Amino acid sequence: MNRADKIGYGVSGALHVGAILWIVTGGQWFFPKKSEPVVISQVAVMSEQDFNALMASAPKDAPQPSPEPVAPTAPATPSETPAPEAPAPETQATPEPKPQELPDPAPEPDAQPDVAALQAPPAPTEVTEVPPEMLPPVEQPSETVTPEISAKPKPKPAPRVAPTPAPEPPPEAKISDQAQPQETPDETAPADKVVEQPKDAAAPPEATTEIVTEATETVDKQESSAPMSSPRPSGKPKPPAPKPTETAAASKPEASKPAAPKPDTPAKPVDTASVNDALAAALGGAGTGGTGDAPVGPPITAGEKDALIVDVKRCWNVGALSSDALRTTVTLSVDMQPDGHPIISSIRLVGSSGGSGAAVDQAFEAGKRAIVRCGSDGFPLPPEKYGRWKTIEIDFNPEKMRMK
Amino acid sequence: MMRFVLSMLVALLLGPVAALAQDQEPLHITITDGVIEPLPFAIAGFIPETGDAGELATQISQVISGDLTGTGLFREIPSSAYIQNITSFETPVKYSDWQAINAQALVVGSVAMQGGKVVVKFRLFDVFSGQQMGDGQQLAASPASWRRLAHKVADVIYSRITGEGPYFDSRVVFVSESGPKDARQKRLAVMDYDGANVTYLTDASTIVLAPRFSRDGTKVLYTTFETGFPRIKMLDVATASARLLPEVPGTMTFAPRFSPDGTKIVYSLEQNGNTDLWMMDVASGQTQRLTTSPSIETSPSFSPDGSRIVFESDRSGTQQLYIMPVQGGDATRISFGDGRYSTPVWSPRGDMIAFTKQNQGRFHIGVMRTDGSEERLLTSSFLDEGPTWSPNGRVIMFTRESPGAEGQASLYSVDISGRNLKKVPTPGPASDPAWSPLLP
Repeated sequence: MNRADKIGYGVSGALHVGAILWIVTGGQWFFPKKSEPVVISQVAVMSEQDFNALMASAPKDAPQPSPEPVAPTAPATPSETPAPEAPAPETQATPEPKPQELPDPAPEPDAQPDVAALQAPPAPTEVTEVPPEMLPPVEQPSETVTPEISAKPKPKPAPRVAPTPAPEPPPEAKISDQAQPQETPDETAPADKVVEQPKDAAAPPEATTEIVTEATETVDKQESSAPMSSPRPSGKPKPPAPKPTETAAASKPEASKPAAPKPDTPAKPVDTASVNDALAAALGGAGTGGTGDAPVGPPITAGEKDALIVDVKRCWNVGALSSDALRTTVTLSVDMQPDGHPIISSIRLVGSSGGSGAAVDQAFEAGKRAIVRCGSDGFPLPPEKYGRWKTIEIDFNPEKMRMK
Repeated sequence: MMRFVLSMLVALLLGPVAALAQDQEPLHITITDGVIEPLPFAIAGFIPETGDAGELATQISQVISGDLTGTGLFREIPSSAYIQNITSFETPVKYSDWQAINAQALVVGSVAMQGGKVVVKFRLFDVFSGQQMGDGQQLAASPASWRRLAHKVADVIYSRITGEGPYFDSRVVFVSESGPKDARQKRLAVMDYDGANVTYLTDASTIVLAPRFSRDGTKVLYTTFETGFPRIKMLDVATASARLLPEVPGTMTFAPRFSPDGTKIVYSLEQNGNTDLWMMDVASGQTQRLTTSPSIETSPSFSPDGSRIVFESDRSGTQQLYIMPVQGGDATRISFGDGRYSTPVWSPRGDMIAFTKQNQGRFHIGVMRTDGSEERLLTSSFLDEGPTWSPNGRVIMFTRESPGAEGQASLYSVDISGRNLKKVPTPGPASDPAWSPLLP
């Protein structure tokens, strides 16, 4: 055993001995203190009649207790003395101890409202006075709150609304210094148009583009966007990327010159797209071979699917279906137009289960009515993914709609 | 190594093909939730084609509308909302005008008096599909039967749209009540299913109970107390003549019901304090005992194919429902819920059994599968009892009695879905309804 071990054993032994001693002797100092017993004071409950009787006999002494509370003002000075002071008034009012006790345990204001409340006439008047006092404070906070609320929203809408109408020119000028001064201002002679075009070119300004495209997209994009989106999935990403910028830039100058440029550039793509759409509509889209013509786009998202389901199910009325039809699941197929409208003549039954022939017919008619009714306004489907919803198959499963 | 390279090449070649195939697959969605609401329809007037048919055309149109809306499955669009004014039976339908007011079904008809008969023509259109539903039809009848004509038209419309069988052109026999509760007078009456055309079949001299139609609707069985004890009588509806069925002296017979083919009657017979089920051949009067239990067996009802009988028995200690072969023999208990079950009636479709259930001080009308599964209580009140099925098995009519000394019995009907609970109009208090088959 070397020296280090000896030291270790020594320290360990000392600690153990200390711990044992602490356990044996220390506990005495750490025993929990016994909680003081709860003092329970008995309170006698007296009826209102008894109290009234006491009070009726008390008025003569009433003037006496009033000076008494003056004497108890002493309690403010010594905290311990209230007990000895209390007996003194009690002895003075020995014939009626209870009314004297009322001022003692509680401060004066408690005793006074009690007596006042016992007197029938004043009590209702006080109650009536209270509500009018409450009303004004209610009004005041409401007034203070409203300006705070109104002040906050104001600044929020301000920045959103402001950029679109007026503040555009100044930022445009700055942006045009960076990107456009090379070409566009020189080519376009009119000053006003030159200023506007750089905005569009630099125009990621989202608010303006969105608003403008909402109004014009349906016309413009049908012409130009179909070829733009279709090559993306199959072809390379870069070639189409510059095209949209060019076409977008070109389309807006064209907007100022509506007649000439439109027939020039987009003539061919517009024709092919519209012809393809018309063919798809006319032929019922029964596997129109070239999926490459229709924009396929990314897969349909769950949210887009849910939106379609919600739109269809609100028109699927099973209230008039027979009980047999309510046990029948039918699958309907419908070909769609690019604008989201179903081709009614293409609605067909592609499968059924669980019902007889008549029940299948009824279930099919109910499903067809749902498609026709809610499809009359067009289903909420992304046009850029038309290739993915050119044909839709819908299972109408009334399992949850059966008799309760 | 070579195999690995080849497999990789094949995978590379087939990959785009598979992707293309996936792209071409149609978008597939599943709808499991819909809406349950009355189907809006429009009756573009039944146009009178002859001068004397104007009032009749209006009445027929009203009855048709009442039949359809009374099911709770249809909602009529008021004529004030119509856009297209159809002035002739041949007027082409502008579907867009009817789509605009959300009419999903359109009825166009005409009424004419020809050769002393009422002639009704009608067509039914599916507005949103833009096509006619089925062929147009023409019906003719005597002017006195104009209500039946209207019911027939409504039946066709109802069946074409819902797929259910018809039931408007049917009748109900019931017990018409009058007088105070402790001295109630009861007599048999028959009426259209909608409460019209009430005709009394018996007088109020004796108490009558539990009438039951034969399957062809020409005869009615009921229990009468004219001898002081319950006995079974068979009444001819056309002539209102009735005769007592043969009986064994010292017995009481009640709760009769026809077999589906009308050749036999099953009923309860009480003898020496014990009640069992018996069967009688209508032609020969020969009887056959079906049960021999010391308990009380009553309220028998045939299955539509006539092979089985459902009845109530307290052999287990409380009233429960049992099914046994038509020849008698072992019975299978089908009700196991809380409370007491009684007055079972087999659905005309054969798939369900309606019953009265008493539980926790309340009475219910319910339905269950023939094996006792899928029990559903359709109503709940102080006293509901005695269900009877409509000819198509979609609606149940029953007796509901209100509490108290002034309480009265009334007839109610309810869809088997539990919806469309409504009171059937009767001239006064009424009980014990029995639905007839569809009239020929």
